[in-house]
Amino acid sequence: MIRMTIDDLVALSPLLAIAAASVALMMVIAFYRDARAALVCALAGIALAFAMLPVAASKAPRQITQLLILDQYALFYLGLLFITCFAVALLAHGYLGRLGGQLEELYVVLLLATTGGAALVMSAHFVSFFLGLEILSVSLYVLIAYPRRSARGVEAGIKYLILAAASAAFMLFGMALIYAELGTMEFAQMASGMAGGDVRQELLLIGQAMIFVGVGFKLAVAPFHVWAPDVYEGAPAPVTAFIATVSKGAVFALLVRYFANLGDEVVQPFFPALAAIAVASMFVGNLLALEQTNVKRILAYSSIAHMGYLLVAFLAGGSLGATAVAFYLVAYFVTNLIAFGVVTILSGRREADEIEDYRGLFWRRPWLATTFLAALLSLGGIPLTAGFMGKFYVLMAGVESALWLLAVILAVNTMISFYYYLRVAFMMFRDAPEGEAAAIRPLPSLSFMGATALALLTLLMVWIGVYPGPLVQTIRSMVAGLR
Amino acid sequence: MMATVPTEYGLLLAGMLFALGLIGVLVRRNIVFILMSLEIMLNATGLAFVTAGARWAQADGQVMYLFILSMAAAEVAVGLALVLKLKRQFKTLDADAASRMHG
Amino acid sequence: MNAVFYIAAAVALISTIMVITRLNAIHALLYLIVSLLAVAVIFFTLGAAFAAALEVIIYAGAIMVLFVFVVMLFNLGPSATAQESQWLSLSAWIGPAILALVLVGELAFIITRGAAIAPAAGVVEPKQVGVALYGPYLLGVELAALLLLAAMVGAYHLGREWGDEATGRRGDGATEGKRDGEKEE
Repeated sequence: MIRMTIDDLVALSPLLAIAAASVALMMVIAFYRDARAALVCALAGIALAFAMLPVAASKAPRQITQLLILDQYALFYLGLLFITCFAVALLAHGYLGRLGGQLEELYVVLLLATTGGAALVMSAHFVSFFLGLEILSVSLYVLIAYPRRSARGVEAGIKYLILAAASAAFMLFGMALIYAELGTMEFAQMASGMAGGDVRQELLLIGQAMIFVGVGFKLAVAPFHVWAPDVYEGAPAPVTAFIATVSKGAVFALLVRYFANLGDEVVQPFFPALAAIAVASMFVGNLLALEQTNVKRILAYSSIAHMGYLLVAFLAGGSLGATAVAFYLVAYFVTNLIAFGVVTILSGRREADEIEDYRGLFWRRPWLATTFLAALLSLGGIPLTAGFMGKFYVLMAGVESALWLLAVILAVNTMISFYYYLRVAFMMFRDAPEGEAAAIRPLPSLSFMGATALALLTLLMVWIGVYPGPLVQTIRSMVAGLR
Repeated sequence: MMATVPTEYGLLLAGMLFALGLIGVLVRRNIVFILMSLEIMLNATGLAFVTAGARWAQADGQVMYLFILSMAAAEVAVGLALVLKLKRQFKTLDADAASRMHG
Repeated sequence: MNAVFYIAAAVALISTIMVITRLNAIHALLYLIVSLLAVAVIFFTLGAAFAAALEVIIYAGAIMVLFVFVVMLFNLGPSATAQESQWLSLSAWIGPAILALVLVGELAFIITRGAAIAPAAGVVEPKQVGVALYGPYLLGVELAALLLLAAMVGAYHLGREWGDEATGRRGDGATEGKRDGEKEE
């Protein structure tokens, strides 16, 4: 019989805080429906969870029952997830205000989704892996179909539900096969089990491959990417930001931890397949993005390509690979939040996602356009932006592990991607067509919360790009503790 | 006392049920049928876990089965709510109309 | 015990094939319930009596009833009566009934032979499951509770009547097609 101690609870406090915040918020909404109060409660909950991180850090590293582990690695990603959730909540406020209606439940589901992501980055066991992923998925179905009039949203929600449930079933079946062979579901104990003599390796291989299917779907890498453009387009803009960041980042963080536990030998048989997935994701993402005219779809394909870049860092392996993954994820999170934040701020009853919506934006909203430009340049990887430093570390990890071909393909793809990022950027500097000025949709007024969030994120992005030292130090020390 | 069921047969049956469910998801066009096929797939994974748990005489397999059960319930609840919403938005109660929406 | 397993496995496979090939949702659901009952018998042969009971109570009971409920909800209207009589025709329920009878036969066999045919190895008592669930897997239970909470809040929000959302996509071909379909009924 395992008993939880006070130390366990302290170590668990960030997760407890964010889960309790969602329940408390639900109670508040039940008695007092007000968008502003709901936002304040949600933000307070996230801030509380964030404030618990240093408290919990005093107990790290600590295994909490079999299921969860709290170490520097988990703390780092928890912080990243909480900050992202905070930013998404801020951005969602103005958006929801323009949408109208009683929409406070969004924050409850948003907090629950973040709880799922937090459980994922802390998991050390198949049960918490699966439950964390499911909390995230179920919350996302709801968030995608959230606006009450959005037909596209409902279609996207159903599509996502069917594909996510099917891929979760694949993952579960893979877990069952591995459990049937090894008799344990703990990551830490699997490595020794796999080395055992009387284990049928082929069943283990099938099991790992099926887990890859589930994870690959969540990351939207090449053969499993079909849902991404439709769901990105159909979901409300702040939710798209959440899908692009939290849902993918938490799963990637888990992937790195899982294979750090299992050891490199386990990845080795999959190396050709994973390399092929990485290459396919880069090319599919970048080439299909070229012909899109919808900004959300462009960003969807771009994120498919970014997951391909991340896989290169993952394949490089070792502590340098894990460092590159973490740094790239931070840059990717911040940049995507800004890009989708601009889309969110310009969207109201209608999503501002056609590329034409951005025509002449610079002359109408210079600051917003500059921010968007910075985000696009960072996504492309222009020097002095966070995206450049991220790509630099990924390339370095790839070269260090002698993955020359992958590194070259990454560089080529970066070149391709400039084309469509700059296409959106140039659109903002074009003049509005003469004589049709009256026909241009009035821009929604900038909400204070959204503008603040964007400004802070942009500062963060520039800071990471210009002065990455402190972040790299933090990441190095946290990766060192990863088993 | 008769012999117990070998683990392989249990896993094989689970695999077959899983494949049937997958075929259903891929072939059917009606959302309600797709949801049913998803249930078949999830149930098959539950069977695989219980079989695996029986092999090791551990409770873990059944514990995982319980979690799969709660996940299936959650998926169905949200899935059917989405189907209802879809129906309402397109002003029809015809369950087969959903087929035209898919894919 | 092996014979019981094989027969139940055959029932499960046949009824599952029937599920994915039926055209009528209610017929498919009948077969799906039989399939789940067959899997419950298999759980018993594997020594997982607790899982078997839950399979019947929650899967075949609660989750399938939710399906039946929603399918019925879609069919309210003038055509419902005609469909009702169609559902109750002999051909609709004879298949599931025969398969269910096979399972009843197995049940009777197990009961009459009693403990003599209980699975030898790998039996996991309900108590063991409970101890594991509220011991090492306590946090899993909490996470599952959050999962159900998310589903509950979500289903509430999505399933809610707003009164003004039947707009769809104006001028969309799909919407037009469906209106035509309604007229045909």
